[in-house]
Amino acid sequence: MSDPASNEPAAPRLRPVVRAMIWATVPVLLLVQLLASAGVEVSSFWSQVKQLDARMARVAESRAELIAEPLWKMRYDRVTGVLNEIMHDETIAAAAVYDDTGAVIARVVARSESPSIAEVSRPIHYSNGNISVQAGRIAIAYSHAALYADAGSRLVLLLVVGLLATFATLIAMRISANIFIGRPLAVMMSAIQRSKQDGRAYPADVKSSNEFGQLARAFNAMQHTTSGALDRLGHMAGHDPLTGLPNRRSLTERLAVASRDRGRPDALVAFCFIDLDDFKGINDTFGHEAGDQFLVHISRRLRRAVETEDWVARLGGDEFVVIRPEVSNEASAHAFAQQVLAAISEPIRLHDKQVVPRASIGLAVRRADDPELSHLPTLADIALYHAKSKAPGTVAVLDEALQREYRRRRDLELAIPAGFAEGQFEVWYQSQVDLESQEVVGLEALIRWRHPEHGVIGPAEFLPLIERSGNNARLTRYVLTDACWALQRLAAAGRPQIRIAINLPPSELADHSLAAELRATCARFDVSASLLELEITEGSLINNIASASETLHRLRRLGATIALDDFGTGYSSLAHLRRFPLDKVKIDKAFISEIPDSAEDKAIVGVIASLADTLGLTLVAEGIERAEQAEAMREMGVRFGQGYFYQRPQPLDAVLEWLEKRPAVESRVLADSPSIAPEFA
Amino acid sequence: MTVLLRILLVAGMACGLIASASQSSAKPLDIVFVNPGKTGEVFWDMVAQSMQAAGRKLDARVEVLTSERNYRTMQELGYGVLARTDKPDFLILSNEESAAVPILEAAEAAGVKTLLLSNTLIGDDAKRLGPPRQKLKTWLGDITTDLQTAGARMANALIAAARAEKWQSPDGKIHLLGIGGDEITPASIARNAGLKLAVDAAPDVVVDRLLFANWTQSEAEQVTANYLGWASRKQIRPAGIWAGNDPMALGALRAVTAAGLVPGRDIQLVGLNWSEDALREIRAGRLLLTDGGHFLLGGWSIVLLRDYADGCDFAAVSPRVEVKTSAITRRNLGSVGDLVKTRAFDRIDFTRFRAKAGRCGRYDFSLDALVSSLPLPEGAAD
Repeated sequence: MSDPASNEPAAPRLRPVVRAMIWATVPVLLLVQLLASAGVEVSSFWSQVKQLDARMARVAESRAELIAEPLWKMRYDRVTGVLNEIMHDETIAAAAVYDDTGAVIARVVARSESPSIAEVSRPIHYSNGNISVQAGRIAIAYSHAALYADAGSRLVLLLVVGLLATFATLIAMRISANIFIGRPLAVMMSAIQRSKQDGRAYPADVKSSNEFGQLARAFNAMQHTTSGALDRLGHMAGHDPLTGLPNRRSLTERLAVASRDRGRPDALVAFCFIDLDDFKGINDTFGHEAGDQFLVHISRRLRRAVETEDWVARLGGDEFVVIRPEVSNEASAHAFAQQVLAAISEPIRLHDKQVVPRASIGLAVRRADDPELSHLPTLADIALYHAKSKAPGTVAVLDEALQREYRRRRDLELAIPAGFAEGQFEVWYQSQVDLESQEVVGLEALIRWRHPEHGVIGPAEFLPLIERSGNNARLTRYVLTDACWALQRLAAAGRPQIRIAINLPPSELADHSLAAELRATCARFDVSASLLELEITEGSLINNIASASETLHRLRRLGATIALDDFGTGYSSLAHLRRFPLDKVKIDKAFISEIPDSAEDKAIVGVIASLADTLGLTLVAEGIERAEQAEAMREMGVRFGQGYFYQRPQPLDAVLEWLEKRPAVESRVLADSPSIAPEFA
Repeated sequence: MTVLLRILLVAGMACGLIASASQSSAKPLDIVFVNPGKTGEVFWDMVAQSMQAAGRKLDARVEVLTSERNYRTMQELGYGVLARTDKPDFLILSNEESAAVPILEAAEAAGVKTLLLSNTLIGDDAKRLGPPRQKLKTWLGDITTDLQTAGARMANALIAAARAEKWQSPDGKIHLLGIGGDEITPASIARNAGLKLAVDAAPDVVVDRLLFANWTQSEAEQVTANYLGWASRKQIRPAGIWAGNDPMALGALRAVTAAGLVPGRDIQLVGLNWSEDALREIRAGRLLLTDGGHFLLGGWSIVLLRDYADGCDFAAVSPRVEVKTSAITRRNLGSVGDLVKTRAFDRIDFTRFRAKAGRCGRYDFSLDALVSSLPLPEGAAD
C-alpha cells in the first residue's frame, strides 16, 4: 500500500466555487442588464419618436400661425425668414410653405437626402377682424436619424456602462467571494491537507462570524474530536484492548524501530516469546471471563517483572512477548527469561481457586545490529515450539540445533508440492496378524516420504506439514489409490483375503465426496470396498460429530470397515464407541510397550478388551515388539496384533516377498480356527 | 379776359395788402416745429417748407427741428424747446407713434401752446386727455387731413376706370389689390378705411388682398409681384392697384411692368402724396392719379396760429381742423405740378387763406383755392 491517495477514485478536477458562482451569476446579470437597458432604451426611443412627432406638429402649427400673416400678405421674404428660423432645429430636413393655390412660396432644405424622413403638414389659417381663410399649408420634413443615432450611441453607452458595471460586479464578487468564501475554504482545505499528512489536528484559522466562521469552528471542533478518535484508534490498532499491552502490530513497529535505532553495537537484544500452557483449560474450567482476567493478571505481572526499558506485548490469545533491549550476554538473557517465567508462575486466585499459571518461553538473542533483527519473533517462536513440544513450562533458548530443525521443517514444507509431483511419497505396508492363527489378515498402509536429501521421512514429521499446507485430501487419495492397487496385487499373489487399512485424517471425515471416490477408485482397480478398512482417531470425531457420523455410515455401506485408532491416548470416550459405526478399536502402543510387566497397563487393556467384547468390537493391539506381548494380548482377548515383532512397515514388494516366505499352512489353520478362541504361543 | 383777370388779381392783391397792413400791427410769432421725419423725406420736408413759406408771409419765425424718424430724439428736441428761457409762442408737433404725448404734457407744464399736425391723439391718450383745451389748456387743437375720403376717392377712380375698360375677371368681378403703408398709424388706417368704404359700396368689386409695404417702394414692388403671381395662378385678372402712398404705387408700377403688364392699359394704379415721381408717371399715363396735397398742412397750421394769435381763434368752429385732400390727374396736373416739382411755396399767398373777420374758424384750403392763390405763370398769362 503506497500512497493512500492513489487508492481513492480519481478526484474530479477542482472547480472553484467562486468561479462557479461567477459563471452562474455574471452572464445572467449581464443579460438582465443588457435587456433592461435595451428595453428602457427602446421605450425611451419610441417615446422620443412620439415626442419628436408631436414637437414637429407643434412646430408646424406655431410656424403656421407665424407664417399666416406674411403669407396672406404676400410677404414671402418674411415667410422664408420665419421658415428659415425653424431650420435651426437639426432634426428638420426641409420645410415648405404653399399658398392657397398650392404653389410653393418658400422652401428651405437643410441637407440633401437623409434617411427615415417623416413629414408633418398643417394648414395655414389667416384671420383678421373681417376674414378667416386658409392661406396655405406648411409642410415640414424631418428626420429620425438623430434619434436613431442618439439611441444607438446611448445603447453603446449603456452597453459600455453595463459591461463596466458587470465587470465591476465581477471584480467585487470575486474579491468578496474570495474574502468571504474562498479564503476560509482555502484555510480549511490547508488545515485538512496538513492534517492528512501527519494525522494531527490543525485548526482552521477563520475569525469571521459568518457561516464560514461557524463552519470553521465546527470543523475545528470536529477535527479535534476526530483527532482524539484517531489517536484512540491508533492506540487501539497498536494495543490489545484487554490488557492494554502493545499488540502484534506494535511488535513489528517496535522491531523496525529497534533495528533502525540500534543501541550499542555490541549490545544484545533478548526476545522472549511466551506461550501460556493450557490456557484453554483455564477458559474451559473457569469461563472466558475468568480467562480474560487471567490474561490481565499475567500482563500485570509481566509489566511488573521487567524494567522500564523493557517492552511487553500481547500478540494474541495466550501469547506474550517481552523484549529486553540490552543484555550483556546470553546467560543474563536466559536469566531474564527465567525471571519472567518465575513471575508468571506465581499462583493466581480465580473464582476463589488457586491456579498456578504455566508458560513456555522461547528465547532468542541477537545483536542489536543484526540485520535479521526483524526475524526475532520467528526465531523465538522456533525455540518456543521446541519448548512446547519438548519441555513445556521451561525456557528454550534458540540454538543451532533448534534452528536446524526449524530449517528442515521449512524445507520439507516447501518440498511438499515437489514430493507429490515427483512421486516421493511412498506407501508402505505393515501387516496385521491374527494373534491366534498367526495368519496375516490385513495390512496397514503407512505413508513415507522418500526425500532426495533427507532420505526416508516418517509421517510423524511430515504429516503435520501436509495438513498445514492443505494437502490432506490429496495424500489420502494417493494412499487410497495405492492401497487399491496393492489389493489387486495381493489378489494376484493369491492373498485375496488380506484387507488393507488406511488412515483417514480428521479433515477427510468432513468430506462427503470421500465415499464416492472410494467406490470409484475400487471400481477402477476392480477391488471390493469391503477389503478396505478406514482408521480414524477420536479427535477427528470430536470436531464434527454429525458430519463424521454421516461419512462413516456411507463408507460402511460400501462394505468398508471402520477402526478407531490410538484408542486410550485421547478421550477414550465410551460414548464414541457406542455412537459411531465402528468395527474395530486399535489399542495404542503406549499401553502395550510395558506389558506384560505393567500391571496397570494390563488392567487397562483388560478393561478395553472386555468393553470391546461387550460392544462387539474387534480389538487390535499396536506396537507389539515381543512375543510375550503378543501372548499377553492374546490372553487378554485381543484378536489382532501389529508391530515390529511381526513385520516392520515395508514397501509392497517387500511385503509380498515376506508373505511369500511365510508358511501357507498357518494361514489355512488360522483361517479355519474360530476367531476368538484364546491361544498361548 | 386776361385783362379782366389781371385786374381782379391786382384788386385782390390790393385787398391782401390792406388786410396784411391792417394786421401788421400784431407782433411777430415765434413757432417751433419738431419734424418727426427724416431729412430728405419728401412729405415732411414739404410740410416744413410750406410751413416756413407761410411763416414768411404771415410774420412768423418758424424754426424746424428734425428728429430724423427717431421718436426719442423727437421727445428730447421737444423737451429742449420747452426748457428754453425764451420759449416759443407755439410748438407744432406730430403725434407719430404717440410719441408727442409726453411733450404735449410737458408743454402744458411749461405754458407753451401746442398744435398737433397731421397725427393727433389716439386711443388711450385721446380718452385720457380728452379734447383739446380741456385737460391740456395749452393744447390748442389739431390740424389733420381727411385721408379716408382720399382713400375712397382713389378707389373709386380705380373702379370707374376698370368698369369703363371691363376688366372683370372670369368670376365677373373687378379684382383690386390694396397696398397699405401699415396697420397701426391713423394716417394709414384712414386711407385703408376709405378703400374699404368704396369697395363695400361696389358689389362688383373685390379687394383680393390689402397688403402692407411699410410705405416703401421696394416692399410694395415685392408684394405686388407676389400678388400678380398669385393672381395668375388663381386665374384672376387684376384690374387695379390701390397704393396708400406714391412710393408704394411706384413700386407696384415696377412690379406690374416686370410682370409684363402695361400700366394704364392693362391695369390702373393710384397713389397718394403728390410726389414728383408720381406726377411724372401720371404725365406718362402709367399712374391714374395721386391724391394728396396735405403737405400744405404745414402752411395751413401757420395760418391757424396767426389767426389765433391775432384773436381770431379757429376753435370758434372747432379746435380740430380737418383739411380735405385733392387728386391730381392728367387733367389738373399742369396747375400744381410745377408747384410741387419746384417746391416754390413762396408763390402761395397764405394771407389769402386767413379767416375773414367775423368768420373765425372757417377756412377754404381746397385745391381750387390753392390754384387761385397762385400767381399765373408767365407762360400762362401769355
